[in-house]
Amino acid sequence: MKRVLGDKIDEEQLVAELNKYLNDYHVNIDSAKRGIIRKYGGSDSSSFVTASSVVKKIADLSGTEQNVDVLAKVVYVESKNITVKGLNKTIVSGILGDETSTASFTLWEPGSVMLEKGSAYYFRNCYCKLWNDRVQINLGNRGRVEPAPGVTLNVPDRTISLSSQECKIGDIREGMGNVTVTGRIVSTEARKITVKGEPKTVYSGLIADDTGKIQYSAWHDFELKVGETICAKNAYIRAWKGIPQLNMGDRCEVSRVDAVFDIVDSGATKKTVAEIARIGGGLDITLEGLVVDMKSGSGLIKRCPQCNRSILNGVCTAHGQVEGVPDLRMKVVIDDGTGAIGAIINRADTEKLTGVSMKAAEGLAAAKGEGIVAREIMGRILMHRITVTGNVMSDDYGPSMIVRSADPVEVNVQEEAEKLLEEVEAAI
Amino acid sequence: MNARETAWRVFAAELNSSTLEIKATEEKMPSYVVSPLGAKMNRVLIAGVMTEKENIGSPDEPMWKVRIQDVSGNYFVNVGRYQPEASAAMADLEAPCFVAAVGRVRTYTTDDQRVFVSVRPEHVVRIDEQTRNEWLLETAKSTWRRLKNAKTVLGMPDAKVPDLLAMGMTEAEAEGLLYALDNYGQLPDSAMYLKTIQNALRMLLPERDVDFGFPEDLSNEPDEIDIGEGGSDEHNHGQLEDIILNMLEELDTDGKGAPRDELERRAEAEGISSIELEEISNVLMDKGLVYEPNLRYLKRI
Repeated sequence: MKRVLGDKIDEEQLVAELNKYLNDYHVNIDSAKRGIIRKYGGSDSSSFVTASSVVKKIADLSGTEQNVDVLAKVVYVESKNITVKGLNKTIVSGILGDETSTASFTLWEPGSVMLEKGSAYYFRNCYCKLWNDRVQINLGNRGRVEPAPGVTLNVPDRTISLSSQECKIGDIREGMGNVTVTGRIVSTEARKITVKGEPKTVYSGLIADDTGKIQYSAWHDFELKVGETICAKNAYIRAWKGIPQLNMGDRCEVSRVDAVFDIVDSGATKKTVAEIARIGGGLDITLEGLVVDMKSGSGLIKRCPQCNRSILNGVCTAHGQVEGVPDLRMKVVIDDGTGAIGAIINRADTEKLTGVSMKAAEGLAAAKGEGIVAREIMGRILMHRITVTGNVMSDDYGPSMIVRSADPVEVNVQEEAEKLLEEVEAAI
Repeated sequence: MNARETAWRVFAAELNSSTLEIKATEEKMPSYVVSPLGAKMNRVLIAGVMTEKENIGSPDEPMWKVRIQDVSGNYFVNVGRYQPEASAAMADLEAPCFVAAVGRVRTYTTDDQRVFVSVRPEHVVRIDEQTRNEWLLETAKSTWRRLKNAKTVLGMPDAKVPDLLAMGMTEAEAEGLLYALDNYGQLPDSAMYLKTIQNALRMLLPERDVDFGFPEDLSNEPDEIDIGEGGSDEHNHGQLEDIILNMLEELDTDGKGAPRDELERRAEAEGISSIELEEISNVLMDKGLVYEPNLRYLKRI
């Protein structure tokens, strides 16, 4: 152990630690040794390798390998500073290639290894993950990199994934890859950001056609102006929390076109829940449906005065014990017959829809307890038909909307029933 | 993805004629009941008149057996300890009244292989007539859409899910419809569904003579109560009903309802015989618009 830890620990400390593990906590000797080595940052990584690894070509990687060796050429490499659990850390990442394919890689514990672009190395004890259906090669604390002098690998030319498909903005969804889109610029804004340590200007805004609108980010200055109609060839789609966004990157070609069409209302796009679920999310969406459920966390809540997050029992997950600011909201499920979507409705709209004011809610809570407020509100919203507008995101539990505005819906039953009657009579 | 299941709008007749089930084969996978028209239901949204409620459990741990009647038949609804919200609401609801319920569907097969469908609601809520009518309309539309889709797809023998999606159906609609057509072994009884739409429209448009050429009675629902628009006598039934309803309103001075004898006298003055009054009040009761707090009173809901 002393050999492994070297000068990171002196003998006295080691004995004290060992004593603590063995006599105070009755840990067996192997676990104690391992624990101490871990604690003091020993580099005896070999002791963690449990099974011998297999050697694979990049094209053969499935993304589930736990222990694999790869012989590959470094196609691209860079160092990055990241923050892990509040600590700054340097990692090395880039792209590896062999005769069969390429894949991105990350060295999480680069140590003193210096990778040179264009050289071949053995990457041992890697583990693989899948991200967006692409394999990623990772080297953790038991991974090793060895130079492979004299090995030459011919990496195939970068294959351009899928030719770009032309599509309407309303049909854009997550994971589409390359697209060609024609639309009108609704807004544009230049933002200065830092990418890989270099300042860069990104131009972003909204672009719309007759089917929908979408947020775009242009990584070059295409001199986009509000009101002009453009055709963006080879743009790509990235989704943020289920909201697809159009990116105009290096390979994107932008041309001005004369196409005349009506863009969707500068307001919101009305959709059914089924349509929203298919796309995954979007901005400024309006939908109409029945409130079929109300979730916990509705009614009177307290918010952290610093970050505005809702807090439980006076404790904010980010700021600890705080004096909460009271607020009123509803978390409901809206169902329109094609699907169900979660919706968070703010104080003003909660007051409007239920007729329960913040003041009344507080009075009710003081008189009968906080629980009664949610019950009261639920009784006034369940089975009510409402229309809501806001941004929609998706996660494992399906889509949900942060509602910006909500209104009750009055259905003209008579008129609608006449319409249905006409349709049925014409068909039978 | 564990997205919440859609609450299908179905009439009792369609729900009760469902015998097929897609059972979950994995943990956390939902089960579905598939109707002959292809509604692939895990949840439903139903509404109508709650006509009966009975606690078959104990006072401490109630198990409510409830019947909710719509224009096509009865929904069989069970509310127990795993539906705490609905259970709490049940205690406060008095039959008859308009309710809406949202919940999961269950099937129950008898020894002689007959399948019953019941609903276990997460919520049962008292609603007003407007809300009930909105539900009628939505459910009629939804039934019509399924009926139309089923007709179209019957003419496409080799259609697969993507073909149906291309026609504008949702994934659930497409999967449910193909499953129903492949597994029911017989064509959906379109007459029955048209009849339910007819009944719904008659209720929504009482002044229109809605007639798709189907008789009122629903022979496959023997205990179904005739909604009773069939009146062919010289009086316009809808008008008479309105008159009686207004009288009830006026005569109900103390909240107990309108005294029957007072009502008869007033009706007589309007030229409505006591036999006609009896008929009309029966119709109104069947529609769930009035009830008898006791035998001598009639009260508007």
